[in-house]
Amino acid sequence: MQNFSHLLQRLADAGLEFVLVGGFAAVAHGSFHLTRDVDICALLTSDNIGKLREALAGWNPKHRMTPQKLSFLLHPTPGETVNNLYLQTDLGMVDILTSIKGVGDFQRLRANAEELEVDGRRFHVISLADLITAKEAMGREKDLLTAKELRAIAAKRQGH
Amino acid sequence: MDNPAQALEEARRAGIDLDLLDTNLALSVKERWSQHDAALELALQLEEAGKNRDAKLQPPPATAR
Repeated sequence: MQNFSHLLQRLADAGLEFVLVGGFAAVAHGSFHLTRDVDICALLTSDNIGKLREALAGWNPKHRMTPQKLSFLLHPTPGETVNNLYLQTDLGMVDILTSIKGVGDFQRLRANAEELEVDGRRFHVISLADLITAKEAMGREKDLLTAKELRAIAAKRQGH
Repeated sequence: MDNPAQALEEARRAGIDLDLLDTNLALSVKERWSQHDAALELALQLEEAGKNRDAKLQPPPATAR
């Protein structure tokens, strides 16, 4: 069963510092487009990989881009470095990215992120302005359409 | 950011339902996420049902004589 809200709660409860980006961040800002995965930006240190494993351990996390669907609980091995992780879990797909095209790395995103409270947990969500920049930098039709929607949301936030 | 009126006009021309956007903006983040999760779950169930229907419509494989 897809449950992105629960997936994010698990990550937050494991103490992982991350910024929510991508389509589910757009939903947080008010977009009504559906997305099939959760994208977050985080530092992929060994400590954070441990927290991710703790959060996802009960949900069958696998590297969805590998033909063998390697278990995330076993890969990457200690000392192995990774730039991004593309996982499938029983709660849905989650991508952990270390930087966002057009915007920058975790520190840059974190500095501008909006803090939102959901069910007593505080989540850092990419700012509306940064998300528009990221969607436009992606340049695909669906991202450009979402960018237009986000610009309309920004206009409505200004009282229009 | 753009001129707000221009941004709204461009969104309208792109087919974005601004009334639906207003409805969505009136919700809390928790409500937006919950509605998204429910809609995605339904979309995936419909997709699966479509695949099952298509599989049933396939002609049976030819058998050797």
